[in-house]
Amino acid sequence: GKVLVFPMEGSHWLSMRDVVRELHARGHQAVVLAPEVTVHIKEEDFFTLQTYPVPYTRQGFRQQMMRNIKVVFETGNYVKTFLETSEILKNISTVLLRSCMNLLHNGSLLQHLNSSSFDMVLTDPVIPCGQVLAKYLGIPTVFFLRYIPCGIDSEATQCPKPSSYIPNLLTMLSDHMTFLQRVKNMLYPLALKYICHFSFTRYESLASELLQREVSLVEVLSHASVWLFRGDFVFDYPRPVMPNMVFIGGINCVIKKPLSQEFEAYVNASGEHGIVVFSLGSMVSEIPEKKAMEIAEALGRIPQTLLWRYTGTRPSNLAKNTILVKWLPQNDLLGHPKARAFITHSGSHGIYEGICNGVPMVMMPLFGDQMDNAKRMETRGAGVTLNVLEMTADDLENALKTVINNKSYKENIMRLSSLHKDRPIEPLDLAVFWVEYVMRHKGAPHLRPAAHDLTWYQYHSLDVIGFLLAIVLTVVFIVYKSCAYGCRKCFGGKGRVKKSHKSKTH
Amino acid sequence: GRLLVVPMDGSHWFTMQMIVEKLSHRGHEVVVVIPEVSWHMGKSLNFTVKLLLVLNTLEDLNYHFKFFAHNQWKTQEVGMFSLLKHSGKGFFELLFSHCRSLFKDKKLVEYLKQSSFDAVFLDPFDVCGLILAKYFSLPSVVFSGGIFCHYLDEGAQCPSPPSYVPRILSKFTDTMTFKERVWNHLSYMKERAFCPYFFKTAVEIASEVLQTPVTMRDLFSPVSIWMFRTDFVLEFPRPMMPNMVYIGGINCHQGKPLSKEFEAYVNASGEHGIVVFSLGSMVSEIPEKKAMEIAEALGRIPQTLLWRYTGTRPSNLAKNTILVKWLPQNDLLGHPKARAFITHSGSHGIYEGICNGVPMVMMPLFGDQMDNAKRMETRGAGVTLNVLEMTADDLENALKTVINNKSYKENIMRLSSLHKDRPIEPLDLAVFWVEYVMRHKGAPHLRPAAHDLTWYQYHSLDVIGFLLAIVLTVVFIVYKSCAYGCRKCFGGKGRVKKSHKSKTH
Repeated sequence: GKVLVFPMEGSHWLSMRDVVRELHARGHQAVVLAPEVTVHIKEEDFFTLQTYPVPYTRQGFRQQMMRNIKVVFETGNYVKTFLETSEILKNISTVLLRSCMNLLHNGSLLQHLNSSSFDMVLTDPVIPCGQVLAKYLGIPTVFFLRYIPCGIDSEATQCPKPSSYIPNLLTMLSDHMTFLQRVKNMLYPLALKYICHFSFTRYESLASELLQREVSLVEVLSHASVWLFRGDFVFDYPRPVMPNMVFIGGINCVIKKPLSQEFEAYVNASGEHGIVVFSLGSMVSEIPEKKAMEIAEALGRIPQTLLWRYTGTRPSNLAKNTILVKWLPQNDLLGHPKARAFITHSGSHGIYEGICNGVPMVMMPLFGDQMDNAKRMETRGAGVTLNVLEMTADDLENALKTVINNKSYKENIMRLSSLHKDRPIEPLDLAVFWVEYVMRHKGAPHLRPAAHDLTWYQYHSLDVIGFLLAIVLTVVFIVYKSCAYGCRKCFGGKGRVKKSHKSKTH
Repeated sequence: GRLLVVPMDGSHWFTMQMIVEKLSHRGHEVVVVIPEVSWHMGKSLNFTVKLLLVLNTLEDLNYHFKFFAHNQWKTQEVGMFSLLKHSGKGFFELLFSHCRSLFKDKKLVEYLKQSSFDAVFLDPFDVCGLILAKYFSLPSVVFSGGIFCHYLDEGAQCPSPPSYVPRILSKFTDTMTFKERVWNHLSYMKERAFCPYFFKTAVEIASEVLQTPVTMRDLFSPVSIWMFRTDFVLEFPRPMMPNMVYIGGINCHQGKPLSKEFEAYVNASGEHGIVVFSLGSMVSEIPEKKAMEIAEALGRIPQTLLWRYTGTRPSNLAKNTILVKWLPQNDLLGHPKARAFITHSGSHGIYEGICNGVPMVMMPLFGDQMDNAKRMETRGAGVTLNVLEMTADDLENALKTVINNKSYKENIMRLSSLHKDRPIEPLDLAVFWVEYVMRHKGAPHLRPAAHDLTWYQYHSLDVIGFLLAIVLTVVFIVYKSCAYGCRKCFGGKGRVKKSHKSKTH
């Protein structure tokens, strides 16, 4: 079949690419739709890249991204950070929205896509643009995502999400919460609503304009046939799920290659102490100098060989055991028996590579869901979380020594690893199965819950409860009145007699 | 590994047996505990069977079940409560009593204790498996068609909004009118109110055995994996939990070639083909009048009818109808000449109909059969008849409709292709999860934290109350201080005026 892929830029694309490659291998045609200006999305031989013009340059886009990363390392008070972060999110979402508008207003491209008669759309709904396009073209969609902020994913799947034991994203809470934490968990989404409002409502008007009727974003997203979540219940806390939700966490750590000569040499030279892999992900290229020096100092204090993926300026105090590289084969290195620990920004891909290969982690979450990811690993005793802003060289040193020398970390991560890898079907096969399923059956309407057709008060049965209450109250009222009437008849007679008697005596 | 199996008799056992046999083939030591008196269990099993001495005889069992089954031909008992309370009560009490016998058999209990099993694979129908699992503190895998009452909501912490999830035995669909939603809600409330009363005997036995008062929730909540003989081709989409596994259609496999006898019947049917008619393994006899009416209707259609019936031969049986004591249902339905399937809509039969793509005429009798029939009917794959009220004409029309109206065949073929399009075969999936629980000694990482909350915490009522209290306090304080401020500002004038007035006096 023919698949139209509308990816999200950044690390999100990297695991989606594996799915596209596998689809190609099974004889499907994939067209990847991307803006002219991209970071990770490049032309490859297993798909056709279809670009569309956007009103910004590669340089401008990169600078925008760089600015965001910088803010993460700046210390400031809570309010300032919140305002700055929301300002950044506003900027990013404006860029993405402009890109989307350029696509959806590109008449000739839309016509071309329409005439290409695709069987389905594969998209990351964190930018709803792909789904708006799919709705316009009238073809079924499969979502490939980690989450959509502000609980939009649970609204659009009609998946129940009791806030009493399901921590909201960005709250950094676990599934066991104290009373005050549960209060926080309930209030947090309200604060986020503000950010989500300007990130998402503009897509709503864009969709309404294109589809020529008033639609809400949740409604547009609710028409996705299958949701492929990059998570599983070794990583995420158990919670209710819907039949069209499929969990494919760990999809990125399937493919393993032998190490190149360069890295093989590093690993062999590490001796009995082994290596520690250090990467803050593909999006973070530079760290403020002072922080980098502190990190370099801590790294110098441990006996392991450090492989640090870092593209910024070389810290002047870098110790001999630390090797700076521009890129490293992260999954393959972690899979080596000499890997002792993994210093990560705890993006979901990195976390899963740590789980798959059973390497305890020191986590330095920077933004987005990374804090939550770190919390999940920490509660399971498989890693230590550091606050990048406050941490000192000693903190990092201690954290590294703890996860390397304290056996329980290794045991816990090995247990998680064996649970994670014990599955009836490999996540990549599962993802491809569901994509093909949607192509074969032109969607999956039989997996769509009837809850989508109810209003919120019907869903919560408030009308039914109100009705039943009304009946009960009416009955109680009638019984009371008739009792009162009965009483008056029985005893009231005497009363009146007495009264009349009294009046007589007057 | 070592696996303890506590099955339930009747058709439930047929599919469970397939899984247990496969587990045994894969080298696991399997011990099955069954009562010495049973219908289908204990026949030609190639794994260790521990027989359980029970007080009742097969006649008792048959008596109670027949009493229950026959009642269904007189008045159909709709809804959870009437089913459990009236004619079914005696049958259930008998089942529950098996568990008491089990724990009285000290030798058996000691043997089970010594065996140090890795897990229990159980059918929760008679509750005894759950009690055993708790008694031996073993991780458990539940195998069931559907859980009675609200124990799925409680035991698995699985949300089931009554606004679009029809309660079991309610006969509603996922799209309900306001009135239906009111009734659905009421049946939910009835379950909460009356089910503890119905399971009283079972809970009493459990409390005795465990020497501590327990509830049904306590028995269900340690379950590691819930396995259901359904899928979302039959069931309406609804919330589920990560430890729930759907293995519907496990019983229908590639059809085997027919025996000579049946091959001959099918070949003789000509272009009109055959209709397969079976009310399941549990129903052996139909009241005579009803049987005559059915026989009459069957005589009026051109197809050849293969009717599995062990009762007295109706006197008006037509030439096209062949009575047999047993028939290879799945293989017959898999034959291209199968035109329709008259079934009591037990879940096994329904899935054989779906697998083989044969439209159905459904005569539900009891239990979840009404719900199954409703689900097939809403999907346009069959016609439901009320066995009590139906006439020969009704049955004739229903048969002609599903055979001649193309849409029924199309719908069942669509369901069939959706059902069979799955990443893993249900039998393999079932075996995987049983072994998973044995390997990992349970699945605690799939247990939702909701189990540790009280009901008001779960619904965040305490949080909402707290927030409301804060809001009200703030409003109150603001109001009071405004009032005070107003008095200061304007009140002063007021007093001035007053004092002025008083002066003028």
